[in-house]
Amino acid sequence: MERPGRGCPVISKGHRGDLIPANLEEGVISVMRLEIGAFHVTDIKFGDHTGYSKGVLTVNKEELLKVVKEDEHITTADLKIVHPGDEVVLCPVKEAVEMRCKVSGGHGIFPGVLSEMEIAGSGRTHCLQGCSLLVVGEHWGGFQDGLIAMGGKYQHHTIFGDMVNLVLVADTDEEFEKREQQKKNHALRWAGMRLAEYVGQCVKDLEPENIEVYDLPALNERGPEVDKLPRVVYVLQPQTQMEAMGYNTLIYGWDGNHILPTFMHPNELLDGCMVSGSFMPTSSKISTYEFAVNPMIKKLYEQHGKTINFLGVVMSTLNVKMDEKARCVKMAGQICTSLGVDAAVVVEEGYGNPDVDYTAMLVELERLGIKTIGLSDECTGRDGASQPLVSMNPATDALVSTGNVSQMYEFPKMEVIGELEALARDGNSGGWEGCIRPDGSFVMENNGMFCANHISGYSKRTCADF
Amino acid sequence: MLKAIHYINQFFGQVGGEDAADAKPIFHDNLVGCSMMLNQMVKPDIEVTNTIVCGDNYITNHTDEALKEIFAWLDTKKFDIFFAGPAFMAGRYGVGCGIMCKAVAERYHVPVITSMNEENPGVEEYKSVCCIFKGGRKATFMKDDVTAMAAFAKKIARGEELLPAAQEGYFPRGIRAEIPQPDGRIAADRVIDMLLKKLKGEPFQTELIIPKMEKIPPAPALKDLAHATIALVSSSGVVPVDNPDRIQSASAQKWGKYDISKLDNLPEGVFKTIHAGFDPAAMCHIPDRGIPVDAMRYFEKQGKIGKLYDYFYVTVGTGTTQAFAAKFGREIAAELNAAKVDAVVLTAT
Repeated sequence: MERPGRGCPVISKGHRGDLIPANLEEGVISVMRLEIGAFHVTDIKFGDHTGYSKGVLTVNKEELLKVVKEDEHITTADLKIVHPGDEVVLCPVKEAVEMRCKVSGGHGIFPGVLSEMEIAGSGRTHCLQGCSLLVVGEHWGGFQDGLIAMGGKYQHHTIFGDMVNLVLVADTDEEFEKREQQKKNHALRWAGMRLAEYVGQCVKDLEPENIEVYDLPALNERGPEVDKLPRVVYVLQPQTQMEAMGYNTLIYGWDGNHILPTFMHPNELLDGCMVSGSFMPTSSKISTYEFAVNPMIKKLYEQHGKTINFLGVVMSTLNVKMDEKARCVKMAGQICTSLGVDAAVVVEEGYGNPDVDYTAMLVELERLGIKTIGLSDECTGRDGASQPLVSMNPATDALVSTGNVSQMYEFPKMEVIGELEALARDGNSGGWEGCIRPDGSFVMENNGMFCANHISGYSKRTCADF
Repeated sequence: MLKAIHYINQFFGQVGGEDAADAKPIFHDNLVGCSMMLNQMVKPDIEVTNTIVCGDNYITNHTDEALKEIFAWLDTKKFDIFFAGPAFMAGRYGVGCGIMCKAVAERYHVPVITSMNEENPGVEEYKSVCCIFKGGRKATFMKDDVTAMAAFAKKIARGEELLPAAQEGYFPRGIRAEIPQPDGRIAADRVIDMLLKKLKGEPFQTELIIPKMEKIPPAPALKDLAHATIALVSSSGVVPVDNPDRIQSASAQKWGKYDISKLDNLPEGVFKTIHAGFDPAAMCHIPDRGIPVDAMRYFEKQGKIGKLYDYFYVTVGTGTTQAFAAKFGREIAAELNAAKVDAVVLTAT
């Protein structure tokens, strides 16, 4: 059988690969052991070549723009670099990705999306840490896009304000959605992923500065000491409520709207099985960067073998119809029961209607005797007096709150990368017509700040009673 | 320097005890009783200029008259902050302080500050409309309670950041807002902390307390629909085009009642929706889609229902608090009961 480039052992023709490997032994994933080789980026600079040395990532702009323009739908593109403390806002931000490459154990950083379908989460992945690739629309934004401040009062409202970022600013010929409030942002989001993998390749053959090891054996191979500990799962409800395709969170490239709850290994998330969607007010979204860098999974890993037995991830969904909500919640509950789960961390990517799924999941698990902790944000309304979750139940007695989508933020006039008018003009969830004043100062709701409530677990904010 | 006015009752205002509880308002151009202590504590940021003294029975039993007299005097004064109490466990005094704070906040839009013991019935009734500091059970706590009220007022006067209710020491008003996590810990660490405590059965503090819900048993089913009077009640925000009652487009604080006795439908241009929670174009075009007068008249003519009640009741649902919604419900239900309406079609959007 033909074996294509980069020394991959089992794949033949075609994007998705063959279902049956040529050699059965080669195709078997026996150990979910993931090594994250870390390169700690302290600065990014433009230069003649793309490479990494001693904390500095150098990128060749022309070379990178060629990668961006591999997609003929990208009409104009530019790259910029922003640093913490720069008095600049980025808007409309569409995506954030960690720049990475797969060194062994797989063929790409987004399996099922940019490379063939295979299980993520084993082998070696090299990551440019402490920085991100941000994708910004040159002109057009929408409901789901956001704003990032690199300086000023709101710098620390997103993790991206505290890191150096490579910024792709581009426009597309996706005329069908140019004036639509809901945008798939396909060309720009995919350009971001391609670029992240391309830049990541520059550290493929370098020795990492340190290696994080994520090694979680099969449930029956963890030993008597671990077996004695309380069994904990991470229940993720990614945003999958859009009935039309092309907007929802992807799991191995598969639209999350079309899955039923399933059991996954945490390494799959840490190694790129998830791609953030293009739906939902942005502050309640989890960026692709955060799905993978996932602080909640890493904290559960830290506790594994000491205080808990971290069983893995129950991947669920968020739905619009009541019977769909019930089906997913009941099936996720059954998976937890069969796994003998003692406690669950339930995470909701969104607010409003999906609060129904969130509260229902927490209540169902409690009903099954599973202790739950909830992780999501709140919507308390302009006057702060609205019910913070659409659905509330006293059984949900342990909730961590990451922010309030209704909070108002007041900005002075600042330099802009992208087009600030997108906040007021294009139906952004945190902006409105007239929110930008003639003097360039502006006001917005938390709703429109890019992934700012960090439901991945990074949020340093909460809500309180006044 | 800001100016403040202080309201106290007949006892602390040195008029008398229970025998003087019917005393009408007395307006002092100087400071009386505990107003002097308050003034000492708020100096130099604030000056308490006047004391109002009123009998507890008078303010609670003759509220409209009392407020009329007090407003007539307050209208002539310049003040930036209003204090009332502290009222400790004294029930009527607490309610009196609540009535005053609510009325002053609504009319003059100034900060209003009072103090009561947690068992004072005034707390439950007025905590959502003013800052009620958690006070002692009796007057021996006077100094502590006045100190708490004064400290908060000084923060307002200095423009300092106001902390959540629990830190400042007042009863939460049902308002939630975003704050930096006090220890600067990321959410994932807070989850782990709560998880381990919950697993061990140790006490932990949730970041969002879910209140116990009031369960309302549904009314018994109608036995005879063909002779029943049915009313339309709605949160759709459909009102006469000039919105005569000025119902708010979001976070409504009132409801309206409109005559439909001579209408078979709600014509475009005569009615519209003022609801800010959805695109109003379709409902402004056909207001019956919010308040289905047309459909109800049809059923009335068919003999399916006895009668469509002569008025519809409406408010706006978006952002409206549960407390206000419950209040509207009680008020509207009382009117419908008195009018012998048998059932309601409640339309929401």
